Amino acid sequence: MIELFEVTKRFGAETAVDGISLRVESGELCALVGTSGCGKSTTLRMINRLIEHDGGEIHLDGRPVREFDEQALRRRIGYAIQSTGLFPHWTVARNIGLVPRLLKWPATRVRARVEELMALLGLPLEQFADKYPHQLSGGQAQRVGVARALAADPDILLMDEPFGALDPITRESLQAELRDLQARLNKTIVFVTHDMDEALALADRLVVMRAGRIVQQGTPLSLLRDPADDFVASLLGGEDRGLKEAAITPVSERMQPLSPRLLPKARVHQSASLRQALSVMFREQADRLAVVDDEDMAVGELSLRRLVEGRRDE
Amino acid sequence: MRVSAHARAPGANRVVVALSVAALLALWGVAAIGVAPNRIVPGTPLKLAEVAGWYGALLGSLPLLALAALAWRPELARLKLALGLALALLMALPAGLALLGALALDPALPQARLGLGPAFWLLLFLLALVLIELRTRLWLGSLAGWGMVAAVALAWGATGWVLSSWLAPLALWQEYRVRSEAFGTAVLYHLLLVGGAVGASLVLGTAIALAMRRSRRLERAGFTLLNLVQTIPSLALFGLLLAPLAWLAANVGWLHALGVRGIGWAPAFLALLGYSLLPMVRNTFVALSGVEAGVLEAARGMGMSRAQVFWQVRLPLALPVVLEGIRITTVQAIGLAAVAALVGAGGLGTFIFQGLGQAAMDLVLLGALPILAMALAADALLGALSRRLSPQENRSHGGAG
Ligand SMILES: Nc1ncnc2c1ncn2[C@@H]1O[C@H](COP(=O)(O)OP(=O)(O)OP(=O)(O)O)[C@@H](O)[C@H]1O
Ligand SMILES: [Mg+2]
Repeated sequence: MIELFEVTKRFGAETAVDGISLRVESGELCALVGTSGCGKSTTLRMINRLIEHDGGEIHLDGRPVREFDEQALRRRIGYAIQSTGLFPHWTVARNIGLVPRLLKWPATRVRARVEELMALLGLPLEQFADKYPHQLSGGQAQRVGVARALAADPDILLMDEPFGALDPITRESLQAELRDLQARLNKTIVFVTHDMDEALALADRLVVMRAGRIVQQGTPLSLLRDPADDFVASLLGGEDRGLKEAAITPVSERMQPLSPRLLPKARVHQSASLRQALSVMFREQADRLAVVDDEDMAVGELSLRRLVEGRRDE
Repeated sequence: MRVSAHARAPGANRVVVALSVAALLALWGVAAIGVAPNRIVPGTPLKLAEVAGWYGALLGSLPLLALAALAWRPELARLKLALGLALALLMALPAGLALLGALALDPALPQARLGLGPAFWLLLFLLALVLIELRTRLWLGSLAGWGMVAAVALAWGATGWVLSSWLAPLALWQEYRVRSEAFGTAVLYHLLLVGGAVGASLVLGTAIALAMRRSRRLERAGFTLLNLVQTIPSLALFGLLLAPLAWLAANVGWLHALGVRGIGWAPAFLALLGYSLLPMVRNTFVALSGVEAGVLEAARGMGMSRAQVFWQVRLPLALPVVLEGIRITTVQAIGLAAVAALVGAGGLGTFIFQGLGQAAMDLVLLGALPILAMALAADALLGALSRRLSPQENRSHGGAG
C-alpha cells in the first residue's frame, strides 16, 4: 500500500507537486494522467526517493519512505521508464538480472529468474539473452525494461510511460501482459501514461493531475460519467467519453438472453467491448447482434437500444 | 557500394591511376638518391635515370605502369593483383635503394654517403596511399591493414640484414651507427617523458574532471585556465618554468635531490603535463557528462549505490571517449617532447636540433623518423583500443572498418 499525504515538491521557485494526497491499495493499479509537466514523473520518483519530497509524508505499508535505506527501498520497488534506461554495455540477460544481483542472490537463482522473466515477456532466451540493447527494437527494449523492473519480484511497481513510443499492436499486447501479470501476481502498480485509452483500460484507480495538483480521482467509469470539471472532461476525451466508456464495458454486461426471434446474422464475441459491438452494428447496418462464445455458439443477443440504454437499469 | 562497383561499366580507379602516375613522375623528375664523398661535402642529387641508365629506369618504371594498368579496369581480381603489386613494391623499396647505392657509389671512397632523395620519400608516401585506397576498395578489415604493416616491416628488416654491406653507406645509418647508444637513450627518454606526462595528466585530469562535474564555477575556471596554457608557445612555457624551477631547486633540498633543475626533465615534464591536461580533462569531462541521463536514472532507480553507478555504469560507458583523450594527448605529447630537447631534457629532439645546427639533414631525420613512427603507432593502437571498447555499435559490425 502506498500513501501520499499532502506531498509537495519545489524546484527553485516552481512548485512541481503541490500538496497531493493519494492512497494506492495493495494489488491496485493506479494510473496518473495529465498534461505534460503537471508533475506525474516527479510524483513517481518521490515514491522511490529518486527525488526527495519537500513537504508532507509518503508511506509504504504504513512506514514513511524516509525511514527506509534509500537503496534497499529502491531494490524492493520495480521501476520502468519510457527511455528504458537499459545499460548499453550489458547484455539483455545481464540487464534483467541487475536487481537480483544487487540483492546478492546466488548466481543459479539469478539465472533461473532471468529465464523465467524472459519467457514471461515473450523474449525467447536463445534469441535475446546475449543481445545488446541497441540490437533490440523499441518494443523489445521496453519489454526488457519491464522484465528488469520485475526481476526481484517487487510487490510495488512504478512505471513511467513504459509503453510510450510503441505501435498500437505491440502496445496492446504489452498492456494485456501487464494486466495479466497484475491479476496473477497481485502487484501494486503506479503507472504514468499519456494514452487515455491505456489508462482507462488498465487502471483500477485513475488520477487526473493538473499543475501539480490532483483534480479528480476514482474508478475510470466514475470519472468518465462524472468528470469534476471541463478540464477532466476534455482530457478524458470530450465528446468521445461515451465511446471510451463503451470501450471499457464488456458486451457480457449488457447481453440479453436469446429471444425466440430469428437470430441476427451479425455477431460479436461476448468478451468484446460495447464499443466493438457498436462498430459491428454500424458496419453491418444492424440494430441487433448475436452474442457468441469461443465456439461461435450464440449465448445471447444485444440490441442497439439495450446497448445505449442499458445503464438505466443498473 | 560493393555491388555498384561491379555492376557499373567499370570506370578506372582514378585514385590509384593518379597515384601511380605521380609516382612515375617522381621517379623520373626528382632525385632518387644523393651521394656525397663524405659527411661534410653536400651531396649530389641523382635521378633514377642518371644512376641506372635509361633502360634501368624504364625497367624500374614497369611495376608502376602495371599498377596504373591494373587500376584502369577495376575488377575485383585486378584490384587484388594491384594490391599485391603495391605491397611488393613497398617491401622492395630498401632493396632498390641498396641497388642504386651500389651503382652510384665509388668503392674507392669508403667515406662516401648515400642520402635519400625526394623520389624515395614520394614513392614511400604514394605507395602507402595506394595501399590505403585499395584496402578500402576491397573492403579489407583492420586485420589486413596490420598484416600489411607487418609484412613491410619484416621485409625492410630482412633487407637491412641481408644487404647490410650495401646499405651501410646510407647516411641515416651512418648517423645512427656513430651514436647508436645515444639513440637508444634518446628513445627511452622520449618514451619516459611522454609516458610520464600522459600518465600524470590522466590521473590529474580525471581528478580535475571529477571536481569540475561538482561545480559549475570550477568548470568554467578550469577550462579557461587550461585553454590559456594551450595558447602559450611551448618554448615560452619552458622559459616561464625556468626561473621558478631553478629557484625551487636551489631552495628545496629534496626537489634538488630528485633532480629538479631550471633546465632538464623537470620543466619539460611540467610543460608537457600542462599541454596534456586540456585534451585529457576535456575528453574525460565530456565522457563522464555524456552518459545518457535515462541510463543513470535507471541505475539509481534500481538501487545501485553511488559507487556502483560510477564504476559499473558511468565509467565503462565513458571509457571509449576517455581513451580517445589519451590518444590525442599521447600523439600531441610525442611531438611536443621533441621541443623539450631545447631545455636539455634529452629525447629524440636532441638529434633534430643538433642536425639543424650542423645542417645535417640525415641527423634531423634520425630524430624525426622515430617520432613520426611513434606517433603513428600510438595513434593506431589507442584508436583500435578505443573502438574495441566502445559498446556494441562498432563491435557488432566491425571487420569492414
Ligand atoms: N530535476 C528538476 N529540476 C527542475 N525542475 C524540474 C525537475 N524535474 C522536473 N521539473 C519540473 O517539474 C515539473 C513537473 O515535471 P514532471 O517531470 O513531473 O512532469 P510530467 O508530468 O512527468 O510531464 P511529462 O508528461 O512531460 O513527462 C515540470 O515543470 C518540470 O519542468
Ligand atoms: Mg514525465
